[in-house]
Amino acid sequence: MVSPIYILILSLAVGFLLSILDKGGRRLSLTAFYGVLTFNVAVVADWLYRFVFHHVPNLVINTAGFKAPISINLELGVTEAFVLLFANLTGLLAAVYLFRKFKESQVSSLILYLLLIMGVNGLVMTRDLFNMFVFLEILSISTFALTALTRNLKTLSSGFKYMIAGGVASTFFLLGVVFVYYFTGSLNLGFLDAGQFTGVSLIALFMLSVAVFIELKPFPANGWVLDVYQSVDSGIVSVIAVVNSAAVGFVFYKIMPLMPQNFLTVFGIAGVVTFFFSNMMGLKQENAKRLLGYSSVGQMGLLMAVLVFTANAPTNIRYLIIGGLFFNHLFSKAGLFWLAGIVKQEKTRDWTVLRNNKLLLVLFGLFIFALSGLPPFPGFWAKWEFVKVLVDAKMFFVLTSVLVGSLFELIFLFRWFTITVKEDNSELEPMASPHGSMVLPASVFGLLGSVAAFAVMKYFYGFGWLQVLPIGAVLFFYLTDFLPAKVKGFLSLGAIAGYGYCIYPLIESNIQLFFGAIFIVGSAVNLISTLNRKNQSRGFYGFLLMMIFSFGNLLIATSYLEFFLSWEFMTIASFLLILRGRKAQKASLMYMIFSTAGAYLLMAGFGFAPAPASASALILAIESVNLPLISIIVLAIGFMIKSGSLGVHIWLPEAHAEAESDVSSFISAILLKAGVFGLMMVAISYVSHAPSFDVFYWIGWIGVLTALAGAFMASFQEDAKRLLAYSSMSQVGYIVAALALITHLGWVSALYLVFNHMMFKSALFIAVAGIYYRTHTRTMYKMGGLISKMPWTFMTVLMCIIAVSGVPPLSGFGGKWLTYTAFITKGWYLQAGVLFFASGVSFLYLYRLIHTIFLGQLKYEHQEVREAPVWFIIPQFIFLGAIMAISMFPSLIIKPLNVIAMRYFDSSIQIEGLTIISDLGYWNGNLIMYVTMGVFAVPFILLLLVKGKTQKVKQFNIVYSAERPESPQTTHVAHNMYAHYRKALGSWTVPRVEAFWSGVSEWAHAFGGFFRRVYTGNGQTYVLYIIMYIVVIYAVMGVQ
Amino acid sequence: MSLATQIFYAVISVTVATAYGLTLGGITRKIYARVHGRFGPPVWQPFLDIIQTSGRRVSVSHGNMFLLGPVFRLAGGLGTYLFIPVIYGSAVFSNFSMAGDLLLVMYFVFFGQLGMALGAGQGGHPYSPIGIARGLAQMSTFELPFALAVIAVAIQYNSLNITSIVAAQQGGFMNWTLFTNPLAVVAAMISLLGMNMHSPFSIVLAPQEIPIGPPIEMNSGFLSILQTNRGLFAAAKLVLFMNLFFGGATNLLEMVAKTFFIYMFSVFVGAAYPRFRPEQSFRFFLKWPTIAGILSIIYIAYLGGTS
Amino acid sequence: MISSYTLILGIALLIIGFYAMLTRKNLIKMVIGFSIADTGTHIIIVSLGYLRGKTAPIIDQAVSAVNAVQKVVDPIPSALVLTAIVIGLAVTAVMLSFIVEMYRKNKSLSIDDYQELKW
Repeated sequence: MVSPIYILILSLAVGFLLSILDKGGRRLSLTAFYGVLTFNVAVVADWLYRFVFHHVPNLVINTAGFKAPISINLELGVTEAFVLLFANLTGLLAAVYLFRKFKESQVSSLILYLLLIMGVNGLVMTRDLFNMFVFLEILSISTFALTALTRNLKTLSSGFKYMIAGGVASTFFLLGVVFVYYFTGSLNLGFLDAGQFTGVSLIALFMLSVAVFIELKPFPANGWVLDVYQSVDSGIVSVIAVVNSAAVGFVFYKIMPLMPQNFLTVFGIAGVVTFFFSNMMGLKQENAKRLLGYSSVGQMGLLMAVLVFTANAPTNIRYLIIGGLFFNHLFSKAGLFWLAGIVKQEKTRDWTVLRNNKLLLVLFGLFIFALSGLPPFPGFWAKWEFVKVLVDAKMFFVLTSVLVGSLFELIFLFRWFTITVKEDNSELEPMASPHGSMVLPASVFGLLGSVAAFAVMKYFYGFGWLQVLPIGAVLFFYLTDFLPAKVKGFLSLGAIAGYGYCIYPLIESNIQLFFGAIFIVGSAVNLISTLNRKNQSRGFYGFLLMMIFSFGNLLIATSYLEFFLSWEFMTIASFLLILRGRKAQKASLMYMIFSTAGAYLLMAGFGFAPAPASASALILAIESVNLPLISIIVLAIGFMIKSGSLGVHIWLPEAHAEAESDVSSFISAILLKAGVFGLMMVAISYVSHAPSFDVFYWIGWIGVLTALAGAFMASFQEDAKRLLAYSSMSQVGYIVAALALITHLGWVSALYLVFNHMMFKSALFIAVAGIYYRTHTRTMYKMGGLISKMPWTFMTVLMCIIAVSGVPPLSGFGGKWLTYTAFITKGWYLQAGVLFFASGVSFLYLYRLIHTIFLGQLKYEHQEVREAPVWFIIPQFIFLGAIMAISMFPSLIIKPLNVIAMRYFDSSIQIEGLTIISDLGYWNGNLIMYVTMGVFAVPFILLLLVKGKTQKVKQFNIVYSAERPESPQTTHVAHNMYAHYRKALGSWTVPRVEAFWSGVSEWAHAFGGFFRRVYTGNGQTYVLYIIMYIVVIYAVMGVQ
Repeated sequence: MSLATQIFYAVISVTVATAYGLTLGGITRKIYARVHGRFGPPVWQPFLDIIQTSGRRVSVSHGNMFLLGPVFRLAGGLGTYLFIPVIYGSAVFSNFSMAGDLLLVMYFVFFGQLGMALGAGQGGHPYSPIGIARGLAQMSTFELPFALAVIAVAIQYNSLNITSIVAAQQGGFMNWTLFTNPLAVVAAMISLLGMNMHSPFSIVLAPQEIPIGPPIEMNSGFLSILQTNRGLFAAAKLVLFMNLFFGGATNLLEMVAKTFFIYMFSVFVGAAYPRFRPEQSFRFFLKWPTIAGILSIIYIAYLGGTS
Repeated sequence: MISSYTLILGIALLIIGFYAMLTRKNLIKMVIGFSIADTGTHIIIVSLGYLRGKTAPIIDQAVSAVNAVQKVVDPIPSALVLTAIVIGLAVTAVMLSFIVEMYRKNKSLSIDDYQELKW
């Protein structure tokens, strides 16, 4: 139990001794240096351990033999210990990172570094305002000097700007301290309280707090710090960005109790403004370290906002939010700065060299994910709780700004990530292998971040192993990645089976069982197609299983958070899977952006929702939850983004098309259904608690328009996967529309469509995967006549397009029958008309798909093409078998769906034997099948009897205006097949939504570009900003 | 009713319908010829054509789908017809309408078209997909007013069951949909022009000029199947329209009379108008008949028409 | 009264210093401005602790430990100002040393020539 005062004493003492020790060799001085840093960490860790587990009282250290206020006193409590532990740890690791620099540099830099760390410790612990000033200056001066560790024009000029700005801020701080003393007669925080500041003395408090706030780099008075972040050595910058900021932030935290509410509100809003604008300006930034600078500044702003706005939250939640954001920023930002020093590439675009080093790449991804606030890292939990706090306090402006700002941050971080993972790096020189001392700190933080993530999940929220399983899957396959893909594929199949077995007992209702069949069984069958992968297919199965387990966890989630956690895991996994596609960089980024925007909406929506009363799975418990209107709207939009509704669908075709072939089927057939599942959850609450405004009426319209727009767009595609993607959009539009009916028959049809779409779209995507595997093209007009080469695949596609189109006798007709009947019964006539139209248009793309690939003229280069590999054929035929089964016996599926929907509504259909009777009509799928078989068999047999000997002719043996056709390319009518239709529709086919979103993107970037012009690079301007900022804040606060 | 009787009745029903449909085709050709100032072939020419084509010794196939195309087509025609109750109250002509309602008929129409399109596609002739692309595009547009009309009818009679729709129109011609819901009939009859592919909507086959359209590669037996279907399918559509909009028929004579006039509507229009370009045709359907269809729904559902 | 004069003087110096920092392009002049402002701050501090007719808070012949409270000005501002002067000196020194290095590298003393990093 070493008193933390020794941290200060030892740092000072060793600091002075270092220059002497250095005479005995750098080894000796370095030993002392690292010894002190380690000692600091150990002391604080020890205290933190005592505070947390033994609940020892806060330690108060009086100096000079007097009690406060006569003397200066220090205090160490759990919060101080927490901040100091990580500050010192970062200090130690940054020193390790700088090991090679320190080995060669002058000994003075070691001394400065020790002083810096001492300043941090003192700043956090001291309770005396003037002492704070002293430590702040120690910290600042040593930091100023350390910026010149690598001495060049950039570091010097940025260091100078830093000093000028810091000098102004500390002048105000000093004035504030003195005036506080003048008005209150005390400098000790223990003897000051907010009540002592009234009238003129508020000015004193104002100067004090605004100076601290300036040190926290608020927008726009923060240009100097960006230059520092950009130019100064990564090791030092990591300390400035993380350790210094933590200490100054803590000072702010300490003086917060003195401030009146209007101060706090203004500072909080200034923090939010900083967060928002920094991230917006970050959008335009291409320099990696400056980008991290923008992000750091933003994060500090967020931290300030959090400090202010969580004041009324329960203590443990407050600690989670502040601590979570603090720690999250600390380890991820320090880690990224360290990586920046290793990569040694200025431009984010050139970070592709990181791919040479797998460990660093993984760490990079980890830090980016953490910084973006994705689970399981602490920032995620903090953000979740913060949103809830903001919603409860009705601070919608702050909420919106924080979420939009977070989205900006995610955009530039993930753009960076996708570039790094995907962009071509052949022209860059490979990265030199980094020294171990530089890799170690980042690795430690990576590990620590993960451990913290696990700790929050396990101990704060008490999540079970099922919720952690998605991560476990990634880890497992990370460790066994050397195995061949087939082995891992079979392992995955086994794992899915085991998982299904484990969650089956947790399933309480038919609706979960139904979606379980879609998510789990559907995934398992889809997974068969991945068995065709060659070699090891590294990093695939881990994320695939992560996604599948997350699907399953959605079903059994019992709280909003659990649901949202699984939702985010699902998003991450699917993003990483999409990213695997060869040209998927942009597509995956767009997917991530839209998904995250959706996720933020969900976060807000769940924030508005009252907690469910029962402990059942959320999908059941939600029945008794009365969702407020705003919650319904926000949640619905969030879920509809995931299901690709019109207006927010633009990620969908890209993601489907650019993902690897066998991944696309998962996305379309299963991932989109997760959105439907979520929407269903909202609808379930809506059934029993309909608000005055009929939200689902409008959702219904969006659904039918999605169906129509998707069909139109699909018809004009040349790329088979894009065609299928738009088709998925269209089909899910039907589902959403049917769901929005909020009637029994509507839900039966929605679920029927879900099931049907899962099967035929899986089969179609796998079929296209097989074709792509053989022909290496997705462009349909480059194919043709493949029916003779790939008859089995043709068979699947044929059956599936019949099923999609709704032509009897296959299962698609059931969907049409149910849907139209449901719409007409509900009275949504015009919507039904639009759906009819969409259904008619769907023939266009379906025919195009099958014709241009399989019929017409075979291309010469495809003469040798063989049937798709068996791993593609097997799942197709499993799905085909299921389609045939429910086509033949629709009651197999209608009966359970009827039961599911009866939980919420009275049944509107009767099932008599094989006939299903609605209020309007009837449908006997079985008889239709027999009649169809009959009417098909009669002419077929006749044809065979009469024309048994038809003569098979070769390609090109056609009647062609008395000429011989030149080549398959010119004879195969496939390219721009519906040109006349497009012409007829005219401006209807202009992709306005894409234009809209690219406009939004352009505007956001333009604004970012505009605002960052405030950072002129002129140190004098920065001083002006600081002074003006103080004036403005002063005016806004309304201090006399 | 035993299955055997059912099938027996179906055979009768189909035979009658096919013969009738083919005769109508003959009459059409006669009328067109007279309009063009020719004498024209005899009315029974379609029957002769079928005999002639199926008697060909050489039969050429481009592959299995090509072979199945006509089979799909005829199966589509047969199925469509068999799911419609032809004569109200007649056991012989009620067909297999117990299998499904109006929606089934509407969607079974596509069965043959899709199959034929696939078969023609394998023919490999560029004109086939051109014709099919036009056909599908036009189909999607004329289905819209038709669907709107059907929805209006479904609202009006609160049923999708064809037999009930016919039943509701019994008791005097003023009960026909034609008079109770004229806008729906306008929309549907214009779509019928598209379905029958007479001018100005004859963009799929363009029969008078160069050989174009999906069946271009079809020969001998394949062609004869298609020609048979042409008769049957025409009859099926007409019967459907008669049932939905013109009070149905209680006996064969009434059926013949009504369908004849329905058919003559499109023949007369076809004889009188020149052909649209494809995009003109598509736009036309999306404009006037669609508006009529929407108005009919508004009239029935929201303005309390008929009730 | 004196204390309010000195206070005004301090504030004036502070403003002059800031004005110099904001308007002088020369790096050294900026630092001088900073020093002036710093000095102004120090004067403000001292003036706040000043009590009319009292002496420096140093216990020597003039002031005995017994009557110190009556005789001396508030000692704390004086203590603070000593520290502040030292710190101000250190900051100024670091600034000047930076300027020296910057001049060596860029041969310019104008702040306008150090705008390479921006946006």
